[in-house]
Amino acid sequence: MRSEVIFLLLGMTLVTYIPRALPAALSEKMKFSPRVEKFLKLIPYTAMAAIIFPGILTADAANPAYGLAGGAVALAAGLKKKSVMVCVLAAVATELLLYLMVG
Amino acid sequence: MKRQQVLAGAKAGVPIVFGFVPVAIAFAVMAQQAGFRGGETVLMSATVFAGASQIMAAGMFGKGAGIAAIILATFMMNLRHVIMSTCVFNRMQNAPLPLRLLAAFGLTDESFGCFTTLEKERCTIWFFLGLITVTYSSWVGGTALGVLFSSFLPPIISASLGIALYALFIGILAPNLGGNVRLVMLVLLAGGMNALLCRVMDSSWALIAATLASACFGLFFVEDTDLA
Repeated sequence: MRSEVIFLLLGMTLVTYIPRALPAALSEKMKFSPRVEKFLKLIPYTAMAAIIFPGILTADAANPAYGLAGGAVALAAGLKKKSVMVCVLAAVATELLLYLMVG
Repeated sequence: MKRQQVLAGAKAGVPIVFGFVPVAIAFAVMAQQAGFRGGETVLMSATVFAGASQIMAAGMFGKGAGIAAIILATFMMNLRHVIMSTCVFNRMQNAPLPLRLLAAFGLTDESFGCFTTLEKERCTIWFFLGLITVTYSSWVGGTALGVLFSSFLPPIISASLGIALYALFIGILAPNLGGNVRLVMLVLLAGGMNALLCRVMDSSWALIAATLASACFGLFFVEDTDLA
């Protein structure tokens, strides 16, 4: 295995395990100030949003419209409270149809 | 008694398996496309066990991001687990430290959701260990399946899977956004800042800066009741 990947996995494992284990390791029950708790809850929203945009424009390297179309279908499914699985499948099916019909 | 609790937990994990396996397969295909080898891909699932972070890492790796940026982005993505873990262990009756540290490894959004909606008297460490054994096995097994499949997939299917990462995050975000103007503003702000910052710095650092900065702004306009 490449050393670069070993470092990556080691680092990812640590930074994933520490937030999970900290509350388990402390014998006293953990409490955050409301402001810190709010910040920690906001991060997943902003992180996911920043991953989606503008990255989705490059889902297909040649045509940003393909990524937007798949994203729109996933958004429609998500707003209808379909499961994450359905959103993913619907978006992948959209891309597949576009590639088959438009090329 | 312990045995029954472990089995009850395992049974509660079965619905989660149906969500995990397809996403694990999609992750495996994306990771291969991003340049990870088969063994590396399965090992990542076995050691990290965090779907959204792994998919993000594969995406960043494929775009040539540095190791430090990927690890930092993973860390931020997983900070939310501090809160989830706190809820899970606050609900649990006291258990020996080694068992709690083992249980912590298996904490995911899904096991958190399952455990914290359970009647309090069923919330034992043994239930949780049964639950995460099933979810963990399905995640690692699904990744291995994906690695095996990926070499047989026609190129048109592989290309279509490029959207999966984005659809996954949209699928997680969208149900929470419906009808909430402040949360919609928050995600538009984060995406907009990232699009701007991408022009002035490396895209993986722009992602991290936009995530932190827009969360700071969010402290001022998002209401506590907006956040589950």
